[in-house]
This record gives sequence, structure tokens and C-alpha cells, in this order.
Amino acid sequence: MTMQPPAITGFGSVSPFGPLAGLIPPRVLEPSPITAWETSGLRRAFLVEPFQPAAIVPGLKTRRLDRLSAWAMVASSLALQDAGIDLTQLDRTRVAVVFATGFGCVELTEAFYQSAAVNGWSGTDPITFPETLANAPASHVALFHGLQGPNLTIGCKSFATECALLHAASLLRHNQADLALVLSGDTLTQAVYEWYEAAHLLSPACFHDVPLSATRGFVPSEGVVACVLQPSGSSTSRSYASLLDGRWANGGTPHRSIQQMLGSSIPNLTICAGSGAPCITGSAACMAREFTNPAAAILAAQPVAAGLADSGGLFHLILALSSNPPKGKALMLATSGDSGFATLLLELQ
Amino acid sequence: MTSPHTTIVVTGIGVVSPYGVGLSSLQAGLLSGTCCLASSTDLYPGFDGAIARVSGLPLLVGNSSSHHSRSDRLAVVAACDAVADLNLNRVDIQQAGVVMANTVAGLSEIDPSIAQNPAAWYRDGGLLRAATYPVARVAASVAEHLNIDGPTCAISVACASGAMAIALAANMLLDGAAPIILAGGSDALCPFTSSGFSSLQALDSQPCRPFDQHRKGLNLGEASAVLVLETLAGATARGAQILAVLRGWAMTNDASHPTAPQKQGSGLALCMTRAMQMAEVSIEDIGYVNAHGTGTVLNDIAETHAYETTFHGRSLPIPVSSTKSYFGHCLGAAGALEAAITITAIRCGALFPTLRLTTPIESSGIDWLLGGVRRQTLPLAMSVSAGFGGSNAALIFGSAHQ
Repeated sequence: MTMQPPAITGFGSVSPFGPLAGLIPPRVLEPSPITAWETSGLRRAFLVEPFQPAAIVPGLKTRRLDRLSAWAMVASSLALQDAGIDLTQLDRTRVAVVFATGFGCVELTEAFYQSAAVNGWSGTDPITFPETLANAPASHVALFHGLQGPNLTIGCKSFATECALLHAASLLRHNQADLALVLSGDTLTQAVYEWYEAAHLLSPACFHDVPLSATRGFVPSEGVVACVLQPSGSSTSRSYASLLDGRWANGGTPHRSIQQMLGSSIPNLTICAGSGAPCITGSAACMAREFTNPAAAILAAQPVAAGLADSGGLFHLILALSSNPPKGKALMLATSGDSGFATLLLELQ
Repeated sequence: MTSPHTTIVVTGIGVVSPYGVGLSSLQAGLLSGTCCLASSTDLYPGFDGAIARVSGLPLLVGNSSSHHSRSDRLAVVAACDAVADLNLNRVDIQQAGVVMANTVAGLSEIDPSIAQNPAAWYRDGGLLRAATYPVARVAASVAEHLNIDGPTCAISVACASGAMAIALAANMLLDGAAPIILAGGSDALCPFTSSGFSSLQALDSQPCRPFDQHRKGLNLGEASAVLVLETLAGATARGAQILAVLRGWAMTNDASHPTAPQKQGSGLALCMTRAMQMAEVSIEDIGYVNAHGTGTVLNDIAETHAYETTFHGRSLPIPVSSTKSYFGHCLGAAGALEAAITITAIRCGALFPTLRLTTPIESSGIDWLLGGVRRQTLPLAMSVSAGFGGSNAALIFGSAHQ
């Protein structure tokens, strides 16, 4: 990156902590029993409690939308509010939306399959179909806020959020947008949960009331986190962090890539991201120790964010920032089960 | 200011289309005016429409235990075709990146019973098939099969996805994210999307007639197209043949309606204007537009307005055609396939007409291409895409000899 690094100036989230503008006040969160569908015995997950979107964002209409679209509209509104952005003062043809997701609008996709199961493929619901598309949430965000810049929906195995942040930064760097709303998230449905279960990926904490720290596997989660990304110095509002650089790759030699990115920088904090079990003893943390100073803190991945398979990156970041971390350079690092990795170099303000 | 390090070039094109595997079969089909659309009733019980299928798609072989969706297979075959003649060594391939568009992905592998009892469906063999569903899967399949270790991601922005994959890949090259990027799109025919478009009454039961006053809707097709993109500096350094230059690209959103395009095509017009600004070219310089042109009532009139706005004041009407009239709408693959066709038009000096266009929408500013192939030198051409959710993309390609 050769331009002034872009800064994250606002956060909004709809998560198991509820809908919030700004950071998330730290508190211990336990998974909740699933009641949205019939389960054979106890099944737990990190779930978003139902709420009325219009009670959070006046005038918001979310009827017949996938929850992912509704949450994206709420989270984006809260992020803009937190950043103190008045969109009427901006050229909205130059405001981008970049949305990261693993599964997209899976809730209404299942509803569409349900209508096909009941009525046959000739009897499906025309109102549901467009809302099944993966880009529906980003489109609704654009429509609600009147944003006419680039509108992207990104998928990336294990690292969709990091990938979306870097694409958004690229849009700013190449003068294709003046501001970007970056969102990432997924919803949890019966079909997704039962797929995890059938694939034996779930933590015992999904089935028993046991402490999370003593478990293998992961507890599925849901939610959407949004952030406002602006060129540094373009706003008078405060900045949570600057995005100095970043890489992601499908494989290869992560050590060399990370070293190239860092140059002479020595981060004093590592934020573990990625899906799966908490990573304090995992490969990301082991790798991070090679690049940080010996006294550097390592923030373990929070289980509530790790439960978002591909799209937990922003959730990891907001939780890390909410824990009052030390200022200065921070390395956000995620690894996948194979040799894939994603890393962001941040300057925490 | 452009330099060899900021000039993006196309050095490979791989295609799987209803014409077969390879750009040459696509080119031959277009030059001969062959329509691949045929009536079908076997997509699902009750379906009656014209579609364009890829026949003889090979199964993937390799050391992977994964199940591959039809979209995965289309993408992998197109990607292999794209790099087949490029003399890339193992390290070149390993360091490459992948940006693949899709909208269908693994939906073709899932049947409605998943919604009634997911656990039972997984027990009955659905577990691996459902694993093809995530947005990222098609891109990951390409990377896996070609042993690509570089940055790999997917984009899913409805019918503008394929063009946007190319735009994002160009940005990544400018950022130095990878020396070479395979960018394109892939989507298979499947009951889910066919049923969805049918429920919206967006399908023409006969072969479609884009931009005709009597158009009745779109037809669905399936395909994959993959472009190999790199900087001019990188391509020159390894002695690569340059097929075309990606001169400009832009992406916008209508922010107007969840499904319908903005009636005056203002978002699309803005997109084309921004692409021309990036390319530093004028409306006189663009010699041909490969349109989105689906054949639906709403899309084609909005798109017509967009061309009238964008090219207003041009000394001659802008030549426009929709090649969806040959093989239908390939959804997430469409933008990449039409980029390949736009490059082919430049390289062959051939403007492909819209098939079955007999009574075009009246427009004094548009030179609707109809009848036979028009032969002319074409230094610069534009490929335009749009999609549900109001997204638009425009790509401007130039001759390698400019």
C-alpha cells in the first residue's frame, strides 16, 4: 500500500450481544439452547435474540427479507451512526459496500427449497427467489442508504472478512470509492447446524452444559458486523484502527508473506482470528510468536466469533478492540486447516 | 498515468460454453451465427423453455476426495483451458491468484428434501454435496485443481458477478497481490434458478430476442469463462502473448429497486462513464458494446436508455449487440463469457449481431447489430453487465496492438 492507510472509523453489529453501535462491552457469553427448530436433545449455539429492526433503525422495513439482509441493514446503520457520517453530505455514487459471507441468504434459500418440496419446482415463490441471492444483503444496504458505488459480495474459504477488507481498501486506493462500508456475517439455520453436526465439527459444548475452554470443535454462531472504512485524514471522527497492509493466500509460505508484509514492523499484539476452536495454542498463535516481540500480547480468538465459519473476521476484530488492547501495531492472523492464511497489519489508535 | 506495471493485459482465455471447450469453438459458433438454445422439458417436471446446455462435461479427476458441483467442474475445465498454452511453470501457477464468480455454485447438487429433514438428507449422501454450497467453493475448486497457492476468493453479485471478478482481479494486480490472476465466472443450469426465474415470469419459452420490441424474457444457459490477467510488465518479462489490454473497469449500484433496474439506466450509464474515465477514452473511441441484453422487458429498455445517455453526442450511433441470443443467460459466468467474446470481437475484427432481432427498440443513438457479422477494425470495445440488486459493471478492452 502506498497511499495513506485507510482507517476504521465506525462499527455496528448485530450479534449474540444484541444490536450495538461502536464497540461491544466485554462480557462472558454462553451458548443458548436452540428453540427455533425441533432438536433431538440439547443443541446449543451463539444466537442472535429476535428483535424489531425498526426499533433500532427507525423506518427500516425488513418484512420478507432474509435475516442476513435485515441484520446487514441494521449493522450498517449503526456503523454509520458510530462514525458520525451524514450520508447527505457525501457523494453517494462513491460509497462502496463490500459484504463478506460464507453461506449468504441461506434462511430464504431453505424456504425456497421448502416451497419446491411442497409445491414442486413449478410452484415456487417469486418473492422469495431474489432474496435468496448472496448479494441481497449488500444490495439492501445500498438501497436503504442510497449508495451507488461498487457493491460487492465476497466469499473466501475461511477468510472472507479479511478478503473483503482488503478489496474495500483497494477500491479506496484506486479512487473507485471515497468510503466503504464493509460487512461480514452469516445466519445459523437448521440445515447449516445439522451439516456441522453430521460432519462432526461441533464442540461438546453444543450438546452438554460444559465449559467452552475445555472443548474441541466449535460452537456455531451468527450475526453481522459492519465497519466504516475511510481514507485516513478524510474525517474528523476518531479512528479505531488503520489498516496498514494485509495478505491472504490459499497456501504456500505464510511465514515469508507475513515477513514481507511486516518489513521492519514488530507488532506488540496479535489478534487471533479464524474459525474453529480458540487458537491461543493453535497454529495462528504459534506463527504469531515468530513475528511479534517476546512481550507481545496474544488475544485468543473468541468462541462467539470463531463460530462464524468464513465470516468471523470483523467479529474477532471488534471483540479484540473492545478488550482495551494496547495501542500500536497489531497483527491479525487467521489460519485454515490446510496451509491457507490471512493476515492484516493494523495500527490501533 | 499508465506504465507497464499498471497496465493490465489478458494473456489467456479459457472457455466452456454450449459450443464446447475452448475459445475457438465459441468463436466459430459466433461467426457462423449458430444458436445453441433448444427447447427443453427435462430441467424439472413442468419446465418448458429454451435453454443452452454444455454437453460432455468431464468429471474431475485428481487426489481430492471432495464432491464437485457442476459449477465447480465447469470452472476447473475453463481454468485448465485458460492456462493450457501459456507455458507457465509450476512456480508461476503456484503463485497465481484466483477470483471466480458464481451465483448457483452447489445449488445444482441439493434437492428440496434438504429443507424438510436436513439430517436425513445428509445421512443419505447429501453431506459432501451440501459442502459445495458455500460462495467460496468454486474458486477454491479451481485453486485446488491447479495447485494454486495465491490469494483465492469468490464474488457473487448476481448477473454482474463475472465482470466484477475481472475488475477485482485487476485491482489485485495493481496492488501486487499476485503476479498472475485467473479471473472469471462459472454457473451451471439447475432447477433452483430455473424455477426462480420461471416464478418471476422472466423466461421466454422460445429463444430470446434481446432488444426486440416483441421480446418476452430471457433464456438460461450454462458456461464458464476464465481470463488470465497480469501486468504488462509481468507478461513482457516472461514473453507471454498478449491477447488484449484491459483498459478500464468500473462498478456501480442503482440503489433503486431490489430486482428491477433503474428505469432510465442511470446507474449503468454512470458505470460506463467511469470505465471510460479510467481508460482515458471518449465515446468516439468505443467501437462496440457487448450488452447485458437479457431479453426481459425491463432490463432491455433501461439498458437502451443507459446507452443513449452515455453515448449522447457521439458522431455515429454506438454499435450494440447481445450475444445472449446465442446461448442464453449464463448468470455468474455471463460477464466473463461476454468479456471473452468482446476480446474475440477485437481480435477478429468482427461485430456479432443479436440473433432474431427484427424490430429493435427505437433509438436514434444506437446502431443495433442485426443480420450478419459485421467486419471492421475494432481498437476498443466495452462489455457491460448488470444484475439483481442493481449492480452494474463495465469493462473496456483494447487491442493488444495499440
